[in-house]
Amino acid sequence: MKIKRLLVSVAAASAFAALPATGQDIRIGANLPMSGPNAEYGELFSSAAAIAIEHANADKMLSKKLVMVIEDSQATPQQGVVAMNKLVSVEKVPYVLSAFTGVSKAIAPVGDKAKVVSVNGGGIGPDLAELGDYFWNVIPLVNLEVQALTPYLVKERGLKKFALLYVDDPAGEAIKKELDIHVPKNGGTMVSSQQVPRASQQFAGIAAKVREAQPDVVFIASFGTQQAQIVKQLRDNGVKQQLVGYSAFSSPTITKLPEAKGALFPSQDVNWDGDAISKRLARDWKAKKNKEPNAYVANYYNAVMVFVKLAQALEKSGHPITGENLLRQRKAVGTFDMVGGKMRFLPNGTVSMPLAIYEIDGGAGKLVKGNLIVE
Amino acid sequence: MLAYLNNLAVLISINAILAVTLNFVLGYAGIFSLAHAVFFGVGAYTSALVAMKLGGGFLLSTAAAMAASALISLALALPALRVRGEYFVAASLGLQMLALTVFSEWKVVTGGIGGISNIPPARFPGFEISSPAQYLVLALGCLALVMLVVALLVRSSFGRSLKAIRDDETAASAFGKNVAVIKTIAVAVSSALAAVAGSLYAFYLSFVNVESFTLDTSVYLMAMVIIGGTATLVGPVVGAVLILLLPAALSYLPGLPQTEVGSIQQIVYGLAMVLLMIFRPGGLWGFRDQSRGDR
Amino acid sequence: MLLLQLLINGLQLGAIYALTAVGFALIFGSTKVFHVAHGAAFTLAGYLFWWSINAQEWHWAVGLALAVAVVVAFGLFMERFIYRPIQRHEGAFFTVFVAAFGMQVIVQNLVGMVFGRGFETVTVSLSRAAEIAPGLFVAPIAGIAIVVAIVFFIGLNLFLLHTHVGTGLRALADNPDLVRVFGLEPTRLAQVAFGLGSALVVPAAALTAMSQGINPGIGAHIMLISLAATIVGGIGSLKGAAYGGFLLGLAESLAVWKLDPQWSEAVTFVILFVFIIFRPAGFLGRAQGAK
Repeated sequence: MKIKRLLVSVAAASAFAALPATGQDIRIGANLPMSGPNAEYGELFSSAAAIAIEHANADKMLSKKLVMVIEDSQATPQQGVVAMNKLVSVEKVPYVLSAFTGVSKAIAPVGDKAKVVSVNGGGIGPDLAELGDYFWNVIPLVNLEVQALTPYLVKERGLKKFALLYVDDPAGEAIKKELDIHVPKNGGTMVSSQQVPRASQQFAGIAAKVREAQPDVVFIASFGTQQAQIVKQLRDNGVKQQLVGYSAFSSPTITKLPEAKGALFPSQDVNWDGDAISKRLARDWKAKKNKEPNAYVANYYNAVMVFVKLAQALEKSGHPITGENLLRQRKAVGTFDMVGGKMRFLPNGTVSMPLAIYEIDGGAGKLVKGNLIVE
Repeated sequence: MLAYLNNLAVLISINAILAVTLNFVLGYAGIFSLAHAVFFGVGAYTSALVAMKLGGGFLLSTAAAMAASALISLALALPALRVRGEYFVAASLGLQMLALTVFSEWKVVTGGIGGISNIPPARFPGFEISSPAQYLVLALGCLALVMLVVALLVRSSFGRSLKAIRDDETAASAFGKNVAVIKTIAVAVSSALAAVAGSLYAFYLSFVNVESFTLDTSVYLMAMVIIGGTATLVGPVVGAVLILLLPAALSYLPGLPQTEVGSIQQIVYGLAMVLLMIFRPGGLWGFRDQSRGDR
Repeated sequence: MLLLQLLINGLQLGAIYALTAVGFALIFGSTKVFHVAHGAAFTLAGYLFWWSINAQEWHWAVGLALAVAVVVAFGLFMERFIYRPIQRHEGAFFTVFVAAFGMQVIVQNLVGMVFGRGFETVTVSLSRAAEIAPGLFVAPIAGIAIVVAIVFFIGLNLFLLHTHVGTGLRALADNPDLVRVFGLEPTRLAQVAFGLGSALVVPAAALTAMSQGINPGIGAHIMLISLAATIVGGIGSLKGAAYGGFLLGLAESLAVWKLDPQWSEAVTFVILFVFIIFRPAGFLGRAQGAK
């Protein structure tokens, strides 16, 4: 009886696999955290990608309809690998949108072996640059952000004493390393560095220590819900100094937080009114979500558009759309016009794009200084 | 398709090893551990490090992993000796949370959240395990071995002593059983065997980080044992298969909103746990009359 | 000054842990049910309070009342439909624990599906700290938390000592069979225990929503620490649970004084571990070693 039940479930799972891969459309995959504590990011990224797909199909940019298959990575390495395997060997996609460092590191070997491209548009940790030829990043990694931000803070804002709160993952550590180099280089000093665990929710004590250090500016290198808690509790506990973050501050959890008003952060320089593509994305995003788009929206839109442009070129030259050909085409072209300006691919699969510094004002953010190009 | 099923099968085998070994202490010895993911993790990290720093092959790395896990398991055995039931659950929870902090912060050893990448493939004298199909054979082989060891132990006098302790500790010790030693050995064996799963995992994914060894994982493993059925050898394997196939099966269901799949999956196994406890505490594969005695 | 600051923060945090721990201890002490789904009650209370104030813009008293009503209903539901059937035919600790755990997983995910998985706060001026002495920032909410906790504990104590039902509960904790002899209904008393114990999370959850913020996992997190508090304080003792809660809150806060923040959570569990190994009975518990 039990054996029967077991066999039935296995059969059921496999039966669905009999669905043929239709030749009617062109498929790309998305391996994103659609559930769990990071689901808000999965939702954000996939919605942005979906608009890109809509635009590509509406403009008939490819010979067939473009379809995105979404799998839930649940933001864990094990589940991410299962999802990636499904996309690679069942859905047979040549291109997968990815997110989150831990998951990306686990799925990169799978993509590498199968010659399937994975693209990250959200994570900024430096180890994302070392995941092989088939792992691309369409977001400038964190070292570029810090290099763009620090001179502005020290020289133009006169904020010399830095207190840092950083989360204990590679991104946080990379930010610390960059600040340790660039703050003194620009004439400032690091007066305090405190590392916080990712799951931590209590920051009153940390706030007290920050006050003790008497900084001019407090840099917060965290992400997701935690960074919002840090901001709120810092303000609640008497930290009145200027707050600064990195591109994760563009998440709605922070931008709509009243205590975050006035905080500065670097991100891609996206002028939503600057050109037709950006305007269209902004308009469609606002219509669907009733809020302003942010850099992450641009990134995942761009991630899809990179595929579309490469695939277009491949179709024109008569080559099949495979991961291998996409890689070759990307290396040949190198630079793309994307939302946010010129996206230039570096040999290691990361990009350089114009950066900007924004101030949180309760809405989309006020541009404070733009068009910063860092190599 | 085959590659996808192959991948699922390897992960199921690894999780089945974990479930079977958890069941050894939970179902047979009545030791309620929520810290099993810790030994999975210790096994994985140790194996990875031995392979990378000392050039160890699969056998050496796994042996080292088993030793390390057994050693750490003493930290769990200590409370197990003195208290039971509710205290022990809390102690195992405490150990799991402590381990989480250590895994995340002891970066020199574990790489922190960045983890350890580029773990070399599993090596045996003479050949290397490189293809997923080969990993499947390795994983199934290990699973079979582990189940054999557990089966032998359970049917031995050691196993009978364990069950006696589970059913009534006072009576068992009145009969001259050294309860403390037996429990310690049981925990050590279970942890050492769990480390085998860790070693397999590290070589298969060639990347490990703390995110695979959290409290969620321990709960997940407990769900496998409970849903599959405790105190039987095959029950935990059934549980592992079902729980691992669940997200896969759900992902094929049409009309399910993508954003909710993970939540629905968790709700399904939460619901399964609740309903099973009310109507069929022995689990799906268990027997109706689980004479376990009242505590 | 830093030390004093951390002390006050610790007391505020401790109040939240203490309230939750006492609720749990009340239920466990009276009914011997290891109700880890207590964390689910916390999550429900927090979200209902937040939703009433932020989404519905009702008065906070209404939010609290709604939270209490739902949480009490939840406690009663668990007792009547989950724990009682289990205890009827088997009632092993294991079975009850797993069912409670399963329930907690269900509630956490349902809350996430309905209210979203992000972090939410109730923004009130109460959480803003004022500088009452150089370098010492205290928010009104700290004082409120501590006072509320004390008031509830005194109230609970009076209830248990001076009312008929309260005495019944204490009797139930000591000897369930004897309770029947005296004409009291154990099941009815169990319901009171669950209702009352669950209601105690409401102030804790509301305070958390206003200070730290909540997310669907908050109940599980607080439950973990409250469980530790119950054990450290001594299983079976309400006073112990309260002391345990305050102790762990203080420990977590003061840890930052000397240690790097990344180790502060570990401190709680090290304390728990030390107690389990060397003094399982906790501060005030009745000695309950291996059977």
